[in-house]
Amino acid sequence: MSRPAHRRPEYHKINKDLFVLTYGALVAQLCKDYEKDEDVNKYLDKMGYGIGTRLVEDFLARSCVGRCHSYSEITDIIAQVAFKMYLGITPSVICNNSSRNEFSLILDKNPLVEFVEELPAGRSSLCYCNLLCGIIRGALEMVHLAADVTFLQDRLKGDSVTEIGITFLKKLDEKKYRRKK
Amino acid sequence: MAVCVAVIAKENYPLYIRSAPTENELKFHYMVHTSLDVVDEKISAMGKALVDQRELYLGLLYPTEDYKVYGYVTNSKVKFVMVVDSSNTALRDNEIRSMFRKLHNSYTDVMCNPFYNPGDRIQSRAFDNMVTSMMIQVC
Repeated sequence: MSRPAHRRPEYHKINKDLFVLTYGALVAQLCKDYEKDEDVNKYLDKMGYGIGTRLVEDFLARSCVGRCHSYSEITDIIAQVAFKMYLGITPSVICNNSSRNEFSLILDKNPLVEFVEELPAGRSSLCYCNLLCGIIRGALEMVHLAADVTFLQDRLKGDSVTEIGITFLKKLDEKKYRRKK
Repeated sequence: MAVCVAVIAKENYPLYIRSAPTENELKFHYMVHTSLDVVDEKISAMGKALVDQRELYLGLLYPTEDYKVYGYVTNSKVKFVMVVDSSNTALRDNEIRSMFRKLHNSYTDVMCNPFYNPGDRIQSRAFDNMVTSMMIQVC
C-alpha cells in the first residue's frame, strides 16, 4: 500500500489583506496595552514562540524535507521552503560567521508591513515583525536546536533592508530537554 | 492643476487640507467649507434613490470666477473636495474622476495602516506625495 507523500494536497487560501490587517491590529493593540517598546517586542516574540512550536509540525508534515546535516542547510530550508510556504516570499541567506553558526535572512519585501509606512512617533525601537523571530525560534526549538533570532536591520527603522539574524547555540541535549518559555 | 485638495471626515471636520502654496490659504479653506453645504445637498437629493444608484463622484459642485470645485463622497461619508483653476479648460471630467479615484485609493491605504486611528489627521508621506503629484502636474 503506497501513500502519497503529501497528506494534505491543498492549501486553504485566505485573503492576504485580511491577514496583514489582522497582524497590524495585533501589533497596534499591543502598543496600546504596553508603553515600552521592549515589552511589546517581548510579547510578540512570546506569541511567535507559541506559534512556531505548533507550526513546525505542520511544516514538516507538508514539506517532507529530509534530515539536515548542517546549520546552513537548515537556514536554507527555512528561507526557501518555510517562508515560501507561509508568507510567499523567499529571503536570501547570508552566512555571517566563519564558524558557520550565524546566519542572516535578507527580506527584500515583507508582506506584513505592506500598509505600514513608518513606525509611529515614540515607538522607534519597536520590532514590528518580531512575531517572525519568535516563530523561527519556537520551530527550531521543537527540533531540538536552540537559536537566538533577532532583527538586525529593519526597513521600518530606516535601514535599507530587513535582516533577521539567526545564531545557532549549542544543540539541546534531548534527554535534558526543557521547554523554554 | 488642482490648487487645493481636502479630505473631510464624516463629522465635517478636515482630515487633510492642502493648497498650492502661492496664494492665501484661508480663501481655499473657506471655499472648501462652503462646498460642504453643496455636498450635503447633493447627497440628500440622491438619497431617495436606491443606494446602488448613488454614485461616489458628485461632479462640479459650484463654479466661481477663478475656480471650479469638484466633490466626491465615499460610502463611509468621507468627502474629498478638489478646487481646480478655471483657466485650465483642458481638464475633462474623466481626468477629474481618475484623480478622485487615486485619492480614494491612497485614502484606503492610509486607513489600512494599523497605527492610524480613523478620525485622526492624515500624516502619511505616501498620501502627501500623491497629492503633490496631482498639484504640480504640468499642463
